[in-house]
Amino acid sequence: MLRQRENPDSFKAGALSISVHVVLLGALLISFNWKTTHPVSIANVELWDSLPAVTVQKPLIIPEPIEQPLVQPKPVVKEVVKPEPVIEPEPKALVDIVIKKKSVEKPVEKEKPKEVKKPDALAELQKKLVQDELQKPQKQPSNDALKKLQQESLSEDKAEGDQKNLAAKAAANTGVTGEFTNKIKAKIRGNVNKTLCGDGNPELKFEIGLLPTGQLSGNPKLVKSSGNAACDDAVERAIMASEPLPVPTDTSLFSQFRNLKLTFRPND
Amino acid sequence: MNASSDMSFFTLIMGASLPVQLVMLILISTSLFSWWYIFIKVATIKRAERDAEDFENTFWTGGDLNKLYDGIAASRRKPQGMASIFEAGFKECARHKQQGRMEVSDVMEGARRAMRAAYNREMDELDAHLPFLASVGSVSPYIGLFGTVWGIMNAFRGLSNVAQATLSQVAPGIAEALVATAIGLFAAIPAVIAYNRFASSVDRLSVRYESFMEEFTNILQRKS
Repeated sequence: MLRQRENPDSFKAGALSISVHVVLLGALLISFNWKTTHPVSIANVELWDSLPAVTVQKPLIIPEPIEQPLVQPKPVVKEVVKPEPVIEPEPKALVDIVIKKKSVEKPVEKEKPKEVKKPDALAELQKKLVQDELQKPQKQPSNDALKKLQQESLSEDKAEGDQKNLAAKAAANTGVTGEFTNKIKAKIRGNVNKTLCGDGNPELKFEIGLLPTGQLSGNPKLVKSSGNAACDDAVERAIMASEPLPVPTDTSLFSQFRNLKLTFRPND
Repeated sequence: MNASSDMSFFTLIMGASLPVQLVMLILISTSLFSWWYIFIKVATIKRAERDAEDFENTFWTGGDLNKLYDGIAASRRKPQGMASIFEAGFKECARHKQQGRMEVSDVMEGARRAMRAAYNREMDELDAHLPFLASVGSVSPYIGLFGTVWGIMNAFRGLSNVAQATLSQVAPGIAEALVATAIGLFAAIPAVIAYNRFASSVDRLSVRYESFMEEFTNILQRKS
């Protein structure tokens, strides 16, 4: 392997070659960051998923506290009506004021049912009152008090809403999805030809993809068979026949219906 | 510091399959040997060049050739390089002269053949291990590639059993496999560089030896 004249160098060369390898291995270990960092836990992702629901739930929660401010505007309106005859220095404005009085009275009375539906009605009321203020400076004290009351009630709404949101979100979400899942199941169940499923209590699972229109995005996929091919076919035909299926109009809720797993017990 | 993490260099090597580990072992030992030979060749070629320089200096100072020959023959170590060529040619020439009544051209032919033989021996010494470096340089990337392909095959075979394929299921296998290619390249690159460098050095030395042979033949012819 080695020539005679190379013998004196062999030990030195061997030591050098080993040291070269050791140095290179050391450089490799130091220069590379061999440690792998794992991404942050998945729990955060769940929080992000539930965030869009906050906007959805607001209208559901707000109606409750609105009943309080509704009680207070009444005396304000009465007060408004009484002072009017006293303050009539301008002869021309008389007719206008009388008409406006009616217009003021009407919306307040009508707004009782409206406000329950839309929190915007409060803002409208506020606007009208501000307009009245400009035309009739005498009403300022009462109007200010009204505004304060409204603002307080609004801020209370927010605080209460925030507290309730977290608890309500989960409950409401599952409630709504469960409701629609039951609706879908009920609609399909009506179309199943139960005679094909025999006497026992077969259970079968289907996975269906839904479009926002309620249409199926593809053929339903059989996840768990009942053991009876005729029964499976009957349920599949029933799913196809019950198009369009009832789905929530809310797009953020719909994401849970894009892929839906349904369990059927035709003979239940 | 790296032993604790799951992707350290050693766990990558230990986690590889047996053929890949064998490939890595072969490549590491090849690399060790090639570096050993590289250092040996560096030393021997440097010494040969220094010897040639020294001998040319003493030869062309114009001293007595008999003295020079006696000095070389008396020295303890075997003559190397140009000295051995000179010794072979001078000895052959002297023997022919002792026998007497020989044609000058025959004497020259004999001396030339003796020098050619010594030159071939020297060249053999200089060329030693160069073929090994050449084959390490050309083959070890392929060996490393073989290990990598084997490792990647295993990684993808494991993937076939999984319903949802993610990168994290293949990545460790591929990283393990790529270590084999890295070692192969690590062995090949120095070997190729060293081979080219040594080949050119040996070529220059051989040219030097050959020109010395021609010149020494002329001197012998003039003297006889």
